[in-house]
Amino acid sequence: MPGPYPGQVIRVHAENSIDANSGKVNAQLVHQMIASGMKALTGDARNEDAWARFISPRDVVGIKVNCSGAPRICSSPEIVADIANNLIAVGVPAKQIYVYERFENQLQSVGYGKYLPAGVNIYAVETSRSSILNYDPKTYVETSFFGEDDTRSNVARLVSETLTKIVNVPNLKEHQASGVTGCLKNIAYGNFSNVARSHNFEKTNTLTFIGTLAAVEPVHSRVVLNIMDGLRGVWHAGPFSEMARFRFYPKQIMIGTDPVAMDHELIDVIEAKRKAEGAVSIFDRSMSHVGRDNSNPNTNHYIREPGHVEYASKLGLGVFDDARIKLKVIEL
Amino acid sequence: MLLLLAALPGLFWEGAPDTAPALHDAGIKQILVPASRLDSWKGVPDITAAAADLQGAMKLLAPTVNYRIDEASATRAPWIVANGWRFIRRPQGRFYYDVTGRQAALAAAEAFAYGAQAMIRTDAAGLKPLAEMLDFLRTIPGDPLPPVADIGYIDDGSTASGEVMNLLVRDNLLFRLVAAPDGRLKVNVKLGTKEYPLADAKNPSTVAHTVRFNLTDDKRSLRIYGSPVVVARLTASGDHARVHLLNYAGASRKVDGVRIRVLGRYTKHQLWMADGTNVELLDFSAQPDATEFTLPELKTYGVIDLSR
Repeated sequence: MPGPYPGQVIRVHAENSIDANSGKVNAQLVHQMIASGMKALTGDARNEDAWARFISPRDVVGIKVNCSGAPRICSSPEIVADIANNLIAVGVPAKQIYVYERFENQLQSVGYGKYLPAGVNIYAVETSRSSILNYDPKTYVETSFFGEDDTRSNVARLVSETLTKIVNVPNLKEHQASGVTGCLKNIAYGNFSNVARSHNFEKTNTLTFIGTLAAVEPVHSRVVLNIMDGLRGVWHAGPFSEMARFRFYPKQIMIGTDPVAMDHELIDVIEAKRKAEGAVSIFDRSMSHVGRDNSNPNTNHYIREPGHVEYASKLGLGVFDDARIKLKVIEL
Repeated sequence: MLLLLAALPGLFWEGAPDTAPALHDAGIKQILVPASRLDSWKGVPDITAAAADLQGAMKLLAPTVNYRIDEASATRAPWIVANGWRFIRRPQGRFYYDVTGRQAALAAAEAFAYGAQAMIRTDAAGLKPLAEMLDFLRTIPGDPLPPVADIGYIDDGSTASGEVMNLLVRDNLLFRLVAAPDGRLKVNVKLGTKEYPLADAKNPSTVAHTVRFNLTDDKRSLRIYGSPVVVARLTASGDHARVHLLNYAGASRKVDGVRIRVLGRYTKHQLWMADGTNVELLDFSAQPDATEFTLPELKTYGVIDLSR
């Protein structure tokens, strides 16, 4: 990260990509959206050539999905399946592809297996909640936020010991603690243990922790592509989306190699939606808006830290400066 | 061997001899009974009875973890109910537990880990877990090594001081009681001093944090990663060390993986695990300054001997 296309974001919008009433996704249109986006990002005429820039047949590829909020909202199986098909098309054997997430119960609730090509692995890091066994004891970030005794956050063994490349597939969501949860947070909190401790209290440590984790090797170099699922979105009380009225349907997919630039765009989408709904900005820091009842869109459990995206840019993870971000919008 | 047996907790049983079948079924072979019942137990086959009295023994809390999920509090850390500080405060004391079911096993392990003289009164459901734990404890070689301490603690005997000691134990901050500051220890703590004002002891967790801050994590002889419900005790001398690990949630749930860091380089290890757990240490790493390893599973209690 930020990879070969710093500051570049491709947004592909298709009005018929999802039926907002039934939630049914048009898999064929999703395929066209991703193919268009990949070709636009790379400049290649053929979809396979675009993918081959990032992935070789010898790679072991992780597709990092986001299942916080599943099955209500998660990385859409149709998008994940299309990514797996594209990997296979460039020669990666199915057995060298891992669709993975930290928590098994969340992952299982989606049922990715029904959508994926035969042989693709579906892998949960924590088969038992909080188990450290599938994390790498040698690779961790150590820090103390509030005097907690366990001060380490370890990277998943799958990432450090098995995968050679990662395709990151976050959702387009507001997050009560970090402001938004997009590329960076799915990379960081989705690949490390013991991260919830950063948002134990109203004032969180997400501002610096997200970028810090994402910058750790080998995570930093193995994430080669970000495909943000914005077919559905959450504009308040994220990431779990327990209240349907805070879901919306942007009907878009964002593609890029720069997680910072993409998350900057994510912030803009969430801010625009919140403004349209009459809700306060995610940059609001007033304690009068902090409270337990977040069924009110102007009340939140935490002081949000959307500044984590800009902070990550200072760690070299991407471009935050609006003037240097090149957004290309494709309409299908 | 005698010393070892003396350190084993005993079942305090008030039942009449007609309850012997229940003890036999559970695998209990030795009991402590009120003196008034001793004669009646003589001659009961396969059970050895000795007289004991709860009078004068300090009653302990049932070791457990309260998760307090629905309770508003300043911390989400589970609340561990542990008795280690009581054993440290009264090393020659007599204690007893009044526990039910599987807590009897955890109680026996806790007392054993601290070498405390404790009796365990339990119900019918507690007999088998207790018998199994006692059988297991008999397999562990005696521990002649002294407890490791990073902190010298001057105990004024007050309730507040006791609660600070409780927090130190629960936070795996290793201390021993001293009458006056001991320059050989890394930190010395006395409530009522400028560094540790009495007012802070109203929230003993604050004092424990201050002690930890002053000690620094790098200098801690023992660290536990991966579980907030495991309390450890460390003994060591020369080329040997022993780590006792107690899972305070063990009566209801096991811990899937706990990583331990012990200061000092130890290249060999041997472990004893209760509850029939058959595991090996994972990712064992003996660095020049510290030794680390992962215990893949901890049900109730485990002992790990380290040597150079």
